[in-house]
Amino acid sequence: MAADGADPHAERPVDEAARADGGGDALLEVEGLTTVFHTDKETIRAVDDVSFSVEEGETLGIVGESGSGKSVTARSILGLIDSPGVIESGSIRFRGDELTGDNWDTHRGDISIVFQDPSNSLNPVYTVGNQIRETLRIHQGIRGQEAREEAVRLLESVGIPDARRRVTEYPHQFSGGMRQRAVIAVALACDPDLLVCDEPTTALDVTIQAQILELLDDLQDEEDLAIVFITHDMGVIEETADRVNVMYAGEMVESAPVGELFDRPQHPYTRGLLASIPGRTVSGDRLPTIGGEVPTPTAEATDCRFADRCPEAFDACERVHPEPIRVGPDHTAACLLHEEGYEHDLDAGDLRGEGTTDGDADAVADGGDRA
Amino acid sequence: MNRLKYIVKRVLMSVPVLWLGTSMTWFIIYQGPVDPAANLLSGNERLTEAKYEAARTELGLDQPPLQHYVDWMWSLFTLDLGQTWLVYTGSNVGALVLDFLPRTVWLGFWSVLIAICIGVPLGFYAGIRSNSVADYVASVSGIVWRAMPNFWLAVILLALLVGSESLFGFDWDTFLITLPSGVTGNPGLSYMAGDPLALFTQPRETLAAIKKILPAALVLGSASMGNEMRIGRTAVLETKNEQYVDFARARGVPGRAIVWKHVFRNALVPLVPVITTEAFLLIGGSVLVESVFGINGMGKLFFDAAIQGDLPLVGSLMFVFIVLMLTINIAQDILYTLIDPRVGYDGT
Repeated sequence: MAADGADPHAERPVDEAARADGGGDALLEVEGLTTVFHTDKETIRAVDDVSFSVEEGETLGIVGESGSGKSVTARSILGLIDSPGVIESGSIRFRGDELTGDNWDTHRGDISIVFQDPSNSLNPVYTVGNQIRETLRIHQGIRGQEAREEAVRLLESVGIPDARRRVTEYPHQFSGGMRQRAVIAVALACDPDLLVCDEPTTALDVTIQAQILELLDDLQDEEDLAIVFITHDMGVIEETADRVNVMYAGEMVESAPVGELFDRPQHPYTRGLLASIPGRTVSGDRLPTIGGEVPTPTAEATDCRFADRCPEAFDACERVHPEPIRVGPDHTAACLLHEEGYEHDLDAGDLRGEGTTDGDADAVADGGDRA
Repeated sequence: MNRLKYIVKRVLMSVPVLWLGTSMTWFIIYQGPVDPAANLLSGNERLTEAKYEAARTELGLDQPPLQHYVDWMWSLFTLDLGQTWLVYTGSNVGALVLDFLPRTVWLGFWSVLIAICIGVPLGFYAGIRSNSVADYVASVSGIVWRAMPNFWLAVILLALLVGSESLFGFDWDTFLITLPSGVTGNPGLSYMAGDPLALFTQPRETLAAIKKILPAALVLGSASMGNEMRIGRTAVLETKNEQYVDFARARGVPGRAIVWKHVFRNALVPLVPVITTEAFLLIGGSVLVESVFGINGMGKLFFDAAIQGDLPLVGSLMFVFIVLMLTINIAQDILYTLIDPRVGYDGT
């Protein structure tokens, strides 16, 4: 990370470790995570210097367009990055234990994952019950009749009717929504503390989507799960997340509690995402979109990666890489609009909203504890 | 229950295939360009109209086509195979097939087994260790095996085995089990005549027969071995990147269990049709390999019968080949239902 003293701008970049509110007691702490993929032609920085933390029982939403690095972040947390990909730098700590450097086995099962496409998450040649029991045996040492009973109980707990019969069926005999429930049951068989959900509802139709979200919500209450919820759907984020990280081109561009983010978005990209939620515009108006597409980052950033598409970009955006800075209570954004010392011809008041100038940010820093 | 129904259905469906296949054989020989009557006569006799007609009558070719077809099909399906016209003229077809078939099946069985036992594990290993030195060595040797022509490989192998004493310091003929007849020739299978269990009760004879067939089986199976290796490698590579493998890793399933339980079984699915297709090619026999190794098998017999238009023999051999192919197909269907539960439950 380029947070060195020689930084030309006077603003202090937010110290990532300090932002984790005391540090050390969060369930999951990700610091300066950089995951790159080496191809023949170039090195793609799929996740570039990303930091965040997840508290016990909290739901963290990670939102961004396709190609912004959300899924790679999820896979990095689980240690599922394969060659040609590699976690180049940064640290991932679970309950204070470092996981990078091939130490994932120390907390295997404490972190579980639900993938986007339920049709491919379960092995087609084994029954659902087999795969639940396999997981139970590894993580809870339950075998035989007890494991069979526990598998039925798990299927019931994720709302699968007639679980006693369905536990003996193969994944292809389940419908899409039921299959995702079965996947969640397998994921829960690890008895995890943290569940990473990588777009778990994207492949499902809207009514099923609502049911799965409800199920995750119930499970979170019952099992005291922390959830990292990855999606490109701002509507889903609003419903599920306690706190939101907005990703763009491998970087975390804004981070705030969900209410704060929806009420006072500070990064032009977040504002663009919020504006493009259907149903928020006056009916009859055209739905605003963000023109262009996410660039593929191949080198360390020397500019703002969003500048090309940003309606509020100015000269300096092409030259200076913005660091995340505090723009409100427990709210950071990486945008030069919020840094002093840069000339831009737009009216600052319009852009910043109330109470989010840098001076104010300093003022609230002390009381900026997360809710 | 479902599985049984599925398999019974496959067996019933093979009846029309058998009928169509034999009918086409009759049509090609009877109506085709090969004239068995002319082949029966010597050069000068062919010029005589009367002798030619006599030959046609003798072979029954002067009958109306439909009657000939019905007679021929009837005797074939009642296993009344008759006598050969031209190849080993006048011998009993049934006896001839029973004499030649075991040698070809023996050769085919061992070549299929060698191909599977070497090709598949090597391919799986290369797939698991993809892009490592071991993978490159296995892949390249797979392609080399695949590319080597059978006749060339057969000759080289023969030369190596015949000269084994001076080249490697041991004599292949007396190595482990003494083979009095040398490297080439028929495997001695007669000890099993009338007593198939002799395969197990007389291990010495069985081992001798295996040793005899091994060089030919290796040559015959070489291309299949290479094919199965390459398909096996691709299948493992594809399966390895499936999401359920990632999910299994995320769930903490140990690496060994991921490979053996989650990857291999799924990788077998695309391999099954490759193995069975290759198996049919190999059991169908190979004229080249049988010729070089001096084995009197069905490949050579069929070739001789076909170019001379020996209808009773060609028909019977085709019948045997079609039955073999259908058996292998049914074996393939059974394998599918065993490996992949998605197959066969919807009446497909």
